Parts: sequence; C-alpha cells; structure tokens
Amino acid sequence: MSEWIAIGALALVAVGIPLGMMAASAILRPSVPEQGKSATYESGEIPTGSARVQFNIQYYMVALLFVVFDIETVLIFPWTVIYRSALSQGASLATVLLPMLVFIGVLVVGLVWAWRNGAVEWVKSPLAKRRKTERQDA
Amino acid sequence: MAGALALQSGPLPDWTAVSPALILALTGLLLFVIDSIDSDSDNTVLLAGLSTVGSLFAFGVAGWFLVEGTGQAATGGAISLYGDALVVDGMSLFFTLIFTIVAAMVCIASLDYVAEQRHQAEFFSLVLFAATGMTLMSMSNSLATAFISLELASLPSYALVAYLKDNRGSVEAALKYFLIGALSSAVFAFGISLVYAATGSLLLSDIASSLGDADGMTGILGMGVLMLLGGFAFKTASVPFHFWAPEAYEGAPAPISAFLSSASKAAGFAIAFRVFVEAFPLGQLPAGVDWVLAFQVLAVVTMTLGNFAAATQENVKRMLAYSSIGHAGYALIGLAALTAGGPNANVLGASMAHLLVYGFMNTGAFLFIALVEYWGVGTTFEDYNGLGARAPMACVAMSVFMFSLAGLPPFGGFFSKYVLFYSAIEAGFWWLAAVGAVNSALSLFYYSRVVKAMWIEDAAPTLELGSKPVGLYTAVIFAAVGTLLLLPAFQPVIETAQTVATALF
Amino acid sequence: MAGIFDFVPAIVLLPFVSFLVALAVGNRMPKGGAFAGIVATAGSFLLSLATFFTVSQGQTYNQTIYTWAQGLDGAVTLEFGLLIDPLSALMLVIVTLIALLVHIFSLGYMNDEGETGLPRYYAGLGLFTASMLGFVVADNLLMAFMFFELVGLCSYLLIGFWFREPGPPSAAKKAFLVTRFGDYFFLVGVVAVFATFGTAAFAGSESFPHLAEQALAGETSVNTFGFAAETWFTIVGLLVLGGVVGKSAQFPLHTWLPDAMEGPTPVSALIHAATMVAAGVYLVARMYGFYALSPTALAIIALIGGFTALFAATMGVVKREIKQVLAYSTISQYGYMMLGLGGGGYVAATFHLMTHAFFKALLFLGAGSVIIAMHHNENMWDMGGLKEKMPVTYYTFLSGSLALAGIFPFAGFWSKDEVLYETLIHGLGGSPILLVAYAMGLLAVFFTGFYTFRMVFLTFHGKPRSQTARDPHGVRWNVKGPLAVLGVLAATTGVVNMVPVEKLLGIKGIDFLHQWLDMSLDGLTAHHYAELTPYSSAYIGGEATTVAIGAAVSLGLAIAGAGLAYVLYNVPEPTEHTDKLGGIKTLLYNNYYQDEYQVWLANSVVRPISRGADKFDQGVVDGVVNGVSSVSLFSGSRVRRIQTGVVSNYAALLTLGLTVLLLGFGLLGGWFQ
Repeated sequence: MSEWIAIGALALVAVGIPLGMMAASAILRPSVPEQGKSATYESGEIPTGSARVQFNIQYYMVALLFVVFDIETVLIFPWTVIYRSALSQGASLATVLLPMLVFIGVLVVGLVWAWRNGAVEWVKSPLAKRRKTERQDA
Repeated sequence: MAGALALQSGPLPDWTAVSPALILALTGLLLFVIDSIDSDSDNTVLLAGLSTVGSLFAFGVAGWFLVEGTGQAATGGAISLYGDALVVDGMSLFFTLIFTIVAAMVCIASLDYVAEQRHQAEFFSLVLFAATGMTLMSMSNSLATAFISLELASLPSYALVAYLKDNRGSVEAALKYFLIGALSSAVFAFGISLVYAATGSLLLSDIASSLGDADGMTGILGMGVLMLLGGFAFKTASVPFHFWAPEAYEGAPAPISAFLSSASKAAGFAIAFRVFVEAFPLGQLPAGVDWVLAFQVLAVVTMTLGNFAAATQENVKRMLAYSSIGHAGYALIGLAALTAGGPNANVLGASMAHLLVYGFMNTGAFLFIALVEYWGVGTTFEDYNGLGARAPMACVAMSVFMFSLAGLPPFGGFFSKYVLFYSAIEAGFWWLAAVGAVNSALSLFYYSRVVKAMWIEDAAPTLELGSKPVGLYTAVIFAAVGTLLLLPAFQPVIETAQTVATALF
Repeated sequence: MAGIFDFVPAIVLLPFVSFLVALAVGNRMPKGGAFAGIVATAGSFLLSLATFFTVSQGQTYNQTIYTWAQGLDGAVTLEFGLLIDPLSALMLVIVTLIALLVHIFSLGYMNDEGETGLPRYYAGLGLFTASMLGFVVADNLLMAFMFFELVGLCSYLLIGFWFREPGPPSAAKKAFLVTRFGDYFFLVGVVAVFATFGTAAFAGSESFPHLAEQALAGETSVNTFGFAAETWFTIVGLLVLGGVVGKSAQFPLHTWLPDAMEGPTPVSALIHAATMVAAGVYLVARMYGFYALSPTALAIIALIGGFTALFAATMGVVKREIKQVLAYSTISQYGYMMLGLGGGGYVAATFHLMTHAFFKALLFLGAGSVIIAMHHNENMWDMGGLKEKMPVTYYTFLSGSLALAGIFPFAGFWSKDEVLYETLIHGLGGSPILLVAYAMGLLAVFFTGFYTFRMVFLTFHGKPRSQTARDPHGVRWNVKGPLAVLGVLAATTGVVNMVPVEKLLGIKGIDFLHQWLDMSLDGLTAHHYAELTPYSSAYIGGEATTVAIGAAVSLGLAIAGAGLAYVLYNVPEPTEHTDKLGGIKTLLYNNYYQDEYQVWLANSVVRPISRGADKFDQGVVDGVVNGVSSVSLFSGSRVRRIQTGVVSNYAALLTLGLTVLLLGFGLLGGWFQ
C-alpha cells in the first residue's frame, strides 16, 4: 500500500485540478458562440486549407539518410576519443580499426545503393505540380 | 572433420561461431551491391539463387556446428561473445536451422512470385536481413541485443509485407503491422527499462543473479517481466498481441506470410525461451512474479482463440493465419509447462522440435497459397474446389501439410504435437495437454475443409490453371518431403532439441 | 477322446453352411437351395441321434472350445463352449428332426407354390436352425444370449419373408421389438450374473447355479450388491426371465406371436415347435438349478404360466383363421410348460416341451397342407368337408389335435397330465399359489379341448362351404411325408414317460424320461432339481389315488371341451355360436385389448419418455457436442468481429489486454502492497 497511495493521490489531484478549473469556468462564463473562437490558432495567421496535406515522400528519404549519418556520428565520436589511448595501451590496429571499417563499410554499401536507386534525386511529384498550377489559376 | 578439430583446437577463432548470421548478412549486402551496380536488375534467377545459396550455406554451417557440438557441453559449453552480448549454444544453432531452411524455401518460392515485380534485389536482401535478425535473436544474451535483433528482424518484415506496393491490402497490412509493431516495441523497451531498474543489468545472467536483491522492487520487476512477455507475444503472434497477424499474413505476399508465420514466430520463441529461462529462472524468482502462470493463460487463450477464429474463416490464407496463432499457443506450452525441478528440458525441447516441424509444414502451406495466388484462382475455400484434379502433386503436398498441422499420423506434425502434449503431461500439466488436444480436434475441422475442397468438391467449369512455376513447386514439394521425413527422423530431432534445451537449465 | 462329441460343433455348423450356400449360390441351385438345407439338417439330425445315443451310454460333455476374451486379474472370461447332457441332446434331436421335416415340407409349401426369393428363405431357415442349435448346446449364459438374439433376428427375417405385402413386415417388426423388449432384461440379467458370480457357465463346480447354491448354503460368498442373497438371486432370475417371457410369448409379451402368423407356415411350425418360442422355456430348464433356489421366482413362473395357459386358450376359442387358433394354442401350451417349471415339474415341463414340439409342428404343417389345398385361404369358415379330400392330412391332423387336447393315449395327454399332477401335489404340499396356477391350467384344458376340436370340425367335417373347399388343391409326398412322421410321433411319444401307468399299475422303470434326465452331469440332474425346489408333496388319499383323480379330471375336462365342440360344430352346416358370448366375444376377438393397451402404453407412456430421452439426447448430449462446435463457431465469429480491421482498435485492445494482464498479475502477485 504505502507509497503507492501517495502516487495515486498525486495523480488524482493532478487530474482533478485542471478538470475542476475547466468545470468552474464552464459554470461561471457566459456562453457566446462565435466563429473566430473555434478557428485553429496559427500564430495570428489566417489558416488556409486542411492540416492533412500529403508531404512529398522525398522529405522522408532525406530525413532517413540524415538519420543514417547522424547515428554514424554518434557511434564514431566515442570511438575517435578512445582510439589513440587504446592503441597506446597495446590493442592491435586490427582490433581497434577493423570493426569501425566494417561498420562504415556497411553504411557505405547502403548509401551507394540508395544513391543508385535515386534516393537523393529530388523529383518533382506530379501531384505537387498540379496543385501549384491550380493555385496559380485561382 | 578437420574443420571441427580445427574449431576445437583453436585455429577457428570464437567469433566464427556467429558465422551463420554473418553469412546471411553478407549475402544480403552482396545483393545490395549487385543492385547498386545494376539497379534495374531483373535477373531473378541470379538474385533468388544467390539468396537461396546463402541461406543454405548458413543452414549448412549451423548444421555442421550443431553436429560437431559447437557451443555445447561436449566442446566446452556455450560460446560467449562481445562481452556476453551474444551467446552461441545448441539452442541458438537449432533455431538457426529453422530460420535458414525457411528462408531458403521462401527464396526459392519467390523466384516465380516476384518475377514480375520491381525491386527484386531489395526483396531478397530484406528476407536475408530479417533472417540475420532472427539468428541474432536466438543468440542474444542481453536484453539490449534482444531488442536490437528483434528490431532487425521486424523492420525488414514491415517492408516485406508492403512489398506489393500497388496492392492496397499489402500496404494496409504493412501499416497495421508496423503500428502494432511499434506499440509492441515500446512496450518491450519499457519492460527492459523496468527490469533494468529492478536488477541493474541487461545481461541475462546478471539479471538472474541479482534477482535476489530485488526485494521491494517486485512490482517493478513483475511489470517489466510481463512487458517483456508482451514484446515476445508480438513476435510470436500470441494473444493479445496477435491482432496484426491475420491482417499481415493475409495482405502480405504469400511467401512472406510463410516466412513471418514460421521463421519470425520461431525467432520470437527462441528469444523468449532464452530470456525467461536464463534471466528469470524459476527457482530464484521472488514471489509474485509468476511468468509461468502468465504463459499458461496466454497459451490456453492463444490456442483456443486461434483455433476458434480459424474455424469460421472463409479465406484460406486467413484461416492459416489464425491457425498459425493457434500453433503459437501450442508452442507456448514449452514455457507454460515449466516447473522448478520438473522435466523442463523435455518440455522446452518438445516445443522447439514442434517449431521445427511447424517450420516445414506451415511454410509449405503458405507456399501452396502462394502457388494458388500465382495461378490467380481465388482465396476462399470454394475457390479451391477441384484443385486436386488439376494440380495433383501440389494438392497432395497441401493435404500433407493440412493433416500434419492437424496432428494426424503419419506426418511429422503428429509426433511433434504428441511429444509436446506428452511432455506437458509428464510435467504435470495434463490440463494444458487436454486443452491442446481439444483444440487439435477442432482444428481438424477447418484443415479438412481445405482437403475436402481440393479433392472432393467439383471444380468450377471455368477453373484454369496457368503454367506450373518451378520455384514454387520445388519449395512446396521440398516442404512436403520434409514434413514426411520428419516422422521417421523425429527421434534425432527431439533428442537434439531436448539435449540442447538441457543446457539452458 | 475322439468320439462323437468332437462332431457336435458340426451339428451347429452344418445348417450354418447351408445358410451360406443358399445365400451365395442358392440362385444357381435347383429348388433355390432347398437341398442344401435338407442335406445339412439331415446331417445334423444324424449327428444329433448319434450324440443322443452316446449320451444314453451315460456320457456327457462340457467343454470350452474358444475363449474370445481372456479375463485378467479377476475380470470375467468370455467363452464359447459346448454342454451336451441329456437335456440338450434331447433338444438337439427335436430341433434337428423338426428342422429337417420343415425343410422337406417347404418343398411342397414354397417351391411347388412357385414362391420367389427362395434362396433367401432357405438361407433364413438354415441360419435359424443353426442359431437355435447353437443356443441349445451353449455352455454359458452369454453364449446362450448371443444365439438367443440370433434366433430373434432370424425370426424377424423369416416372418417378414413376404416383405412386399403390408402385413408381414409389420408383424416381423413387432416380433422383433417385443422380444427385444424382453431381451433387454435378459441382457441386464446376463451382466448381473457375471457381476455376481464372475462366470456364466451352466454346469460344473464353477457354474453360477452351483455357486448360487453354495452361497445360499453359506459355503461361499458372492457379490449380491447389498441384497440378501436369495432376494438378489430372485431379481437376477426374474431379469433373465424377461427374455424368456418375450421369446416364449408369455403374458404380457405374447402379442407378437399371433401376428407372426404372417410368415410362411413352415416357418411358423419351426418357430412354434422347435426354435424361437421353445428357446425361452429351454433356457429356464437349462438354468433350472438357479431358479430352483428361489421360491419367489418359481411361483412367478408358475403363475405366469398358468395364467397364460388359460388366457391364451380363451382367445383361441373365437378365432376364424386356422393359424390364429394354432397361434393361441402355442401360447397356451408354453404356458403349461412354464407352469410345469414353476411348479417344480422339471421333467414334466421338458416332457411337454418335447411332445408339444412334435404335435405342434404336426398341426402347423397340417394347417400348411390345408392352406395349400385352400389356395392360401386360412379362414376356417370357408373350409369344411376336407376329410374325404385329404385323408392323410386329416388323420395326421387329428392325431395332433388329440395330442393337443390331451386325450388319452396321445402324447399330449401324458405330458400335460404330468405338468398338472406335479403342480397339484406340490400345491397340496403347502404352496397355495401353485393351486391357483393349477386351477387356471386345469380350466384351460377345457378350452383347449374345445378350440382344438372346433378347429378340426370346422376344417375337415361338415359340408364344404366354399368352392375351393369342394375342389382343393392336392398336396404331394413332400407334404404328406413329414405329416406322417409327425403324426406317428404325436400319437406315440407319450410312452417315454408314462408316469400315471407306473404309479397306478406299479410297473417300475417305464418313466424313461425321468431316468434319462437323471443321467446328466452333477448338479444338472432331475433329482438334484427336485431336492433344490422348495416344494414338498402331499396327496389326496394315496399317491395312486391322486394320479387317478388328476388324470381323470383333466381328461374329463378335455373330453367335455371336445364334446361341446362336437355338439356345436360337427354338423353339416355349422353356424357361428360366438354371438352367444355377447360382450365377451368382442373382448376375445380383440384379444383382451392386449395389443391396444400395449400400443397405448407405447404411445402415451413410452413415447413421452422417448421424447424426453430424445430431448435429452438432442438437447443435452447432442447439445454439448453441437454446443462445442457452435460455441466455437459463434465465438469464432465474435473473434472475427473483434478483428475489425481498424488498427487503432487493435492498439486499444492490445493495450487493454496488457493492462488486464498487468493488473491481474499485479493483484495476484501483490505488487501494489
């Protein structure tokens, strides 16, 4: 029982305070429905169109490739930090260097493959093109 | 023999023990290289042949290791690598056999299936990467590697399910599979963190040794264990993490359904067996963390729900999907019938042997579906009417799969199920065996519907089969022969399985 | 010892082979397989005679020939075996002789009349004979039961021989169902015997009658299921008696027998004289050592017998068809046998079984001859005056009728008189129930004499009352031959046991049948039975006086009945006198509404029960079975509904499932404390 009760009570209070505030204001405030109140808040801009726009898939491609190099960096960075001291403490060059070369090699194969398959070429999608012309017409 | 001696005496360094996984990964990379050089390659024979050879090579190496006793008690016990993150022992090799042979069958069968598709190299390389992930799953000795390898196996699977890009069913199935998979991974990762919080380690052996210190953290540990269980339940398509399975299997290309329902499921069991038996041994568990009971509940619910749902399906592929859930329930007996000091190795070994036999018969059944899809016949039971007269060879093979799945003699599935139930009874869980037997009886109903449709019903007059694809036929017949041969060859299989399982306890 | 007993199985197997032959190649044989049957039964008859003579040398045979279920660790052993003692040897001769004569007669009745389906007929006769013979030689109750059932099956097949007509199939079904009803009790009885004694052998020191005797004497103990030993033995005996009552057509399960007249007449002869109906009485005689231990069972047997004798005889009085009269006479005569057995007259009952076999076979075959002559018109009121046209039939039929009516010195007189005499002296010896049964039996003698001679006079005497009677169809040697043989036997078989003569004239040693039945195995002799029965004897005056009075009374009653028939019906133009009976006539015509009440029972008692059972079967038993599948299909479809295809539902359900698991195991494991 013990400490779990405290956590449960905290959760109850945490949920209860906002609910109570909303309830209190709902009771006290006058109800004046107005269109502007239900509009999406876009930092003061007047919202246009739906939020559900289909993004070009190539945003994701680029993002994914970025993640590949990002993760690569995360792993390479600590390796460079210990590289010299590991060598000086007697680890063989193969033990220290080879795994990283294999790792980078795998990534290179992937990158080459992606490149060859056109992952980094920015192709204009027909859909986006059509939209743009429609907007210009309007 | 020389190699074996060499392995034991030193020239082959320890890291070569993971060579099955390395072979699979290298083959996958090689396919990438080929595709990079000739990105429009549609030389399916080369790609499928290369991946099949790679899988079979891995299979051969794993088999050789297993026969020579690598990682087993005879040659100095399990081989631990990379700071105990990976371990190669009999069980991991046994499961590697399942993954590689299923992958080989799937690759051969896909020769015809993907011939008309684009991105063929990617298909095969993804299969191989998934197989690599599964192999690593069976070798994982730490929750971290378990998670990584599980993801390595899962991510290619998502893509593979979506392989038929222009097929709405395929894409929808992949998205569902991915979303449920993401949720399950989250649960799994949360479970890992809770276990880490309670025990202070991710290595399975360290977790086991610090279980005793987890006093006061029982709740945390218990939640973590249950969430780990959830992650594995996703991979094995067990209730309540099974929702993706019928949709994914139905929507995916049939060879991929075969791959997922056989190899991927087996991988889930491989990691579950190791994690639960190694990290949470029964004798040392703090009171209140009763994962055996949880597996019992899951086993009963899974096999019952799977079979009941399968009985009402009209679509054969979907029926097989549910039956695959049912079989997950049977295999769960391997964990559900464990007791402190019971005949645990027998139970676990029986479950492993069942998974091996299941790998053949279920892969074969899904590949038959692939064959039917290739012919464009249709998906419901009625569409199968009269197939027996048009394609007798394949239909005989399919009948073998169906009866074997139902557990009828004289097929491999009979012995594996029999030994599984028998070992459950031996361990004192006669009611688990009884539920399993009742479910098996029920399963006969829907399996025999397929056989009835193929052989007894008359074909629609318009039924026309196209050519007979060599690759699919080869794979289906190979699976059928395997299913049949596993009856006389079941003795060595079960002995090996139970021996390697003994090493876990 | 390689003797005649080694050939005993052949007695049973020969007719069985003829069954197979007739069934397989009867179509291609002359006479539809009749000769196969004749040769087989003749062979059996000769072997039976040889067996009979061997037994008369004082040898008996009790041998297990095949064990088909070896009981381990105290479980019962099930066997086939042979028991040849004077009783079964006698019965073998009777059955094979009558079967042989029936086969020959069938040549005239079936072949000469151009019936179709003869192979089936002769196959049925062969199997029928074989079953009965197997029953006769059975050495244990279970084997007896199995052949008993086979006999029932064959009667079903043969009664329904003319299955294209409406009557026979229904009669066959009725015979089968009614006797099966009795057989249920028999089967329970068999199981009870096994459960009680662990054996069902008839003879030997390990036989169940012997064990029962020892149990009552306190020398051994058997499982009596909490009852007193005597009570339990009575219950078991009465259970087995259920089969007897059904097969031997005793009240209240006699209703199938008159309907069974729908079958071919030779079959009726076989059923009534030697096989099916005789089987019941023979069974009681076979295990008499068991019944003799229970006064209650004996009294019930005697009462059933006496009542049936009288009851059936009254119904026979008004029947119009010749075979119907004979049918009721059969029921009545078997009533006498039961009376004899119940009254402690084991020898007397066996005696009556034997004489009745001869004269009833004779009467049926004679009736068959008349029916051939009358072109299958069985109504006696269309007959008359056949005496001159068919003298052989007439005189043999008369011989049989005199025997049936019990007129001195024909066979029936001796046997019936002994049955009544035994019942009388044992009744006088302190068993008033037997006196009641005796009175009924005695009264039945009068009716027997009346209906028998009414039948004779209506059929043969007076003037022909129809065109066919004026110009009857002739019959050939194959009809006359069997009639002649049986006519002589019906007249003379009484000499084998002339007890009254012995008693009155003091000639010792002419009670051959008594001596014969005393030669049996230990524990199966007539003397042993006499010791076992709970009766003592008392006499009116002296023994001789009682014999004389008894014989005189029964003979007087028989002659009185015959005389009344003579007065009423032996006139050139007899008229129906039955109207004088008034309301009783209707009652008798309708057989005391026996069929009606049984149909009513079946309809309003059994039907609802069956319906209830059906409900139970459909609802509960099938319900469970179907329920499992429909529950699985239904819940399967529920599962399908859960599988909505909406992935967010899956995620929700998945999370819910995990939460339930977490909460459940958390509460169970006490994580929240």
